[in-house]
Amino acid sequence: MTRRLERLEFRAVGTTCAAAVTTGGPGDLRRAARALSAAKAEVAACERALSRFDPASDLSLLNAAEGEWTAVDRRLVESLRLAIRMREDTGGRFDPTVLPALVAAGYDRSFEQLTPRPARSAHGWRAGATIEVDEQAGCVRIEAGAAVDLGGIGKGYAATRALEAMAEAWPALPGGLVDLGGDLAIAGETPERGPWRIAIEDARTPGATLGTLLLHGGGVATSGRDRRRFGPDGGLHHLIDPATGRPAAPGPLTVTVVAPTAAEAEGHATAVAISTREAAAAHVAAHPRVAALYVPAEGEPHVLGPLPLARQRLVVRVAA
Amino acid sequence: MTRVWTVVLSVWAMLAIVAVLAWSQRPAPAAAPQPAAQTLVVKGANGKQQLVLVQPGTATAPHATTSTSGVVKP
Repeated sequence: MTRRLERLEFRAVGTTCAAAVTTGGPGDLRRAARALSAAKAEVAACERALSRFDPASDLSLLNAAEGEWTAVDRRLVESLRLAIRMREDTGGRFDPTVLPALVAAGYDRSFEQLTPRPARSAHGWRAGATIEVDEQAGCVRIEAGAAVDLGGIGKGYAATRALEAMAEAWPALPGGLVDLGGDLAIAGETPERGPWRIAIEDARTPGATLGTLLLHGGGVATSGRDRRRFGPDGGLHHLIDPATGRPAAPGPLTVTVVAPTAAEAEGHATAVAISTREAAAAHVAAHPRVAALYVPAEGEPHVLGPLPLARQRLVVRVAA
Repeated sequence: MTRVWTVVLSVWAMLAIVAVLAWSQRPAPAAAPQPAAQTLVVKGANGKQQLVLVQPGTATAPHATTSTSGVVKP
């Protein structure tokens, strides 16, 4: 039987998305369609729960709750629990409570609706606001005056959930991939029975790639300041340094991170994207299940960390 | 005479069926041999050297591309 990759492309979470599954023949087409549809539906459900731009989302309701406990969708419960863990794992360089600073910088609405305005100072804002999660009750609370943005982890979480949804819709799924604007969750076999080949875009050269990752599973995420620039003359970017409350000065142009899940990859990528190369190397060295490709605005990219994940390896073809 | 023709036609029919089955079940052509990967020594974290498996130039398309997420209008 001919194995092939069935693919579904769609728009969600403000970007271009795709889901793909490996099929073993014509008999799998119906199962593939069901799995791909489940992935798309799960991404939509995550967006309804986690978007800060939808005033009816669970996250928006939580941000407006003024410190009260709020019953929310389990996806928000899970992603907040993960965000708390990532804040601890990254020493606070990933912080989901940077939203007031991000709004003050000018990223106060969905990106395509932004109009240039000078940045304001985030007076009174401080990093590390308290988030409490009661998983059994499905309730969460953030301290009064604080607000949460899951932009540094939400797409990775949604990709992870969508991959799980595909496996639930098709329990014998041979392999699949979910791609949310370049943040990827991967599992199982490719049609060729080899590893999944993930190209790393070179932000410095349009149309070029820096190399190819060969992965048998896990997550990949890229974060950077090459896109989503705003403010007068596009001089600001969305990567807020929790230490200053402003768009981070140090950091690479882009960083690509491989981790056990897409959500973790995105959280680590967000943290490394505001780090000097030395700090990024130390961060990766402290997390043995994480590897990164750190791409400065000028000069050679740096491979950070080994990749000890079981059945997984990092393959980099250095650009000529 | 009719019996002879029946036998001849049966044999031809059987041969035709065998030929069709053989054609439909033929093995897939062997994949072109992939160029061997090479291992490079790259300076990594803290100046330490590490081995990186380098994928030679290949015409095989990637399954996906990772990048900073772009923005699309709804």
